Amino acid sequence: MTARALTAVRWAGRPGRRPLWSLLVMLAAFLVIPAMSGEELTTNNFYDISQNFASLGLVALALALTMIAGEFDIAIPATFLLGSMVAVKFGQHAAALGIALALAAGALAGLAQGTIIAKLKLNSMSVTLGGYLAILGVVYLLGHSNTVEFENYALGIALEKARLFDVISIRAGVSIAVFVVVAILLWTTRLGPELRAVGADRRSARTAGVEADRTLIAVFVASGVLPALAGALQGYALAYAAPSTSTSALIFAATAALLGGVSLSGGVGTVAGVAAGVLTLGLLQELLVVLAASEYLNSLVTGGLLVFVALLSAPGLVLRWRAVAARRRSRALSSANAGARVDPT
Amino acid sequence: MNVPEADLALAAGGDGVAPSSLVDRGRRQRVIRPLAFALLAAMIVYGAVSTSGFLTWDNAKAILASMGFVGIIAVGMTLIMLSGNLFSLSLGTTAAVSAMAFLAALHWGVAAAIAAALVLGLVIGAAQGLVVGGLAADPIIITIAAGTLQAGAAAGLSGGSSIQPSASASAYSFLANPIGGIPFSIYVLVGLALLGELLLRRGRFGRRLYLVGDSHDAAFAAGLSVTRVTTAAFAVAGGCAAIAGVLIGAFNQNASLLLTGTYTYDAIAAAIVGGNAISGGRGSISRSILGALLIATLGDLMLLRNYSTGAQILVKGVVVIIFVAALNSSRLGERR
Repeated sequence: MTARALTAVRWAGRPGRRPLWSLLVMLAAFLVIPAMSGEELTTNNFYDISQNFASLGLVALALALTMIAGEFDIAIPATFLLGSMVAVKFGQHAAALGIALALAAGALAGLAQGTIIAKLKLNSMSVTLGGYLAILGVVYLLGHSNTVEFENYALGIALEKARLFDVISIRAGVSIAVFVVVAILLWTTRLGPELRAVGADRRSARTAGVEADRTLIAVFVASGVLPALAGALQGYALAYAAPSTSTSALIFAATAALLGGVSLSGGVGTVAGVAAGVLTLGLLQELLVVLAASEYLNSLVTGGLLVFVALLSAPGLVLRWRAVAARRRSRALSSANAGARVDPT
Repeated sequence: MNVPEADLALAAGGDGVAPSSLVDRGRRQRVIRPLAFALLAAMIVYGAVSTSGFLTWDNAKAILASMGFVGIIAVGMTLIMLSGNLFSLSLGTTAAVSAMAFLAALHWGVAAAIAAALVLGLVIGAAQGLVVGGLAADPIIITIAAGTLQAGAAAGLSGGSSIQPSASASAYSFLANPIGGIPFSIYVLVGLALLGELLLRRGRFGRRLYLVGDSHDAAFAAGLSVTRVTTAAFAVAGGCAAIAGVLIGAFNQNASLLLTGTYTYDAIAAAIVGGNAISGGRGSISRSILGALLIATLGDLMLLRNYSTGAQILVKGVVVIIFVAALNSSRLGERR
């Protein structure tokens, strides 16, 4: 094997490439399985996947950022609804104002939660659980517990129309653009290394001069703004916003982030990986649509996949595996020793 | 990825607080916990005095009725919190699924149906505890995923329709009828609470649960099986949710996943407001029951004063944040 081929194999085999591989495997499955059962894929299916990316991509990115920082934002499904409710309610006549207010509301929610978590050194899951309820309460209050309709249908149609390659709408384009901007920010500025340092080892990060509190608060502001933006655009696109207690957005985001190589123990993860995770899960969900799988089967597959990726990323799995391997080695060794002792007699 | 062994406990949800700050937090807790509790109680009393119809026997029964189911689930939630695994985000789903199983199994007789629901809840809980305790899998992710799986399985088995007891079902109305004016669920709650406290204070399981919750590392070093203790805690939690499910199913006389409602969040709120340490190792069942009483009273008061659903959820969320902040802030000592 030439040196160049060896380098390529090494590059492909690194743990950071796992999201890429799962995406490729899922893509192959998506292209092959429908053909086997006689279904035909159309550009519509790829449009669906891109629309799914538009709705849930930023939600997954938001959760992933908090996970890389070693935290976990449970409030994300509520922040998403907050964005759609604020935009639809206040953007009836000025859509830009609606988006601006939605972003401000998301930022405020994130700022409040992030400040409490960072300054009081609290467990983020418990604080954001309270935050989830509080934000959801605001959504119900704003909508008077009802669906609010968006009268500007023309805007929704314009946002949803497939423009690029008959697949990508403006809404999906916004989502992709935000992914690119966040990726560049984390790649080229100090934000990326600081984010990972805060997630991997907060005390060392502080010692090394990282303002951990500020980084944490910034992460939670981002995890408020990103879902609020996605929610606002979805509210316009669907022409309504409705309060709901569904946590499916959180389940999607967690699965996509874990598929995308983000670690629950913090410090590990890339924006590109998250994008791959979102696409992988989007392909899987579209595959279920193509195969006309029932609702319950969808839940079983989604839940099962989340359990699977959660187990793969569980720190205990590696330790257990090593313990079993070590025990097997020592047993083999002692039986070999016993054999050696027996031999002379 | 290379994970040092010491990180195992951290990843499993423990806060990894240094022993010295633990002592200090214990002292702080003894002062702040009753204070926060008294403050909330005072607010409720103030609201009560200014709200007509609050201080009546009928309203007291209404509060007890809404407290019963949440309280029973909160007993299980307490064990999960004590074990150092934060909380479960799907005990409400387990209750709804158990309610469906109970009503579907009623044609075998009431006792068999209760047993079936109970076994289902225990198994669902134990499976989650096994991977959380044994592999240090994230409790929040596992319980969310388990909720989706339970909902999917229940929807698949029931064909998406709500379950009604068959005509040949045995009489089960005693499970829904009040005794001496007090809801049946309250008797069950008191019984479970006494049993649970006995288990925690007198039994070996209790000692181990507190130790595991306080520090996975120390428990592991002391030779305790973290896996076994965590599995037991989650199994009991699933069992409690199943008992609540049986009572909820009997009360509604039909069951679907819609019964999940806000039970999960209410039970978590009860455990937090009661003053159990989020990071585990400190707390008791009686605290959660007091918490459930407070949450139920608060909800009832807001209902009487015509607050909307949104305002009720908002207040619950703010109360949870305030209590988490007041009781669990560890400004001394780093978390990681």
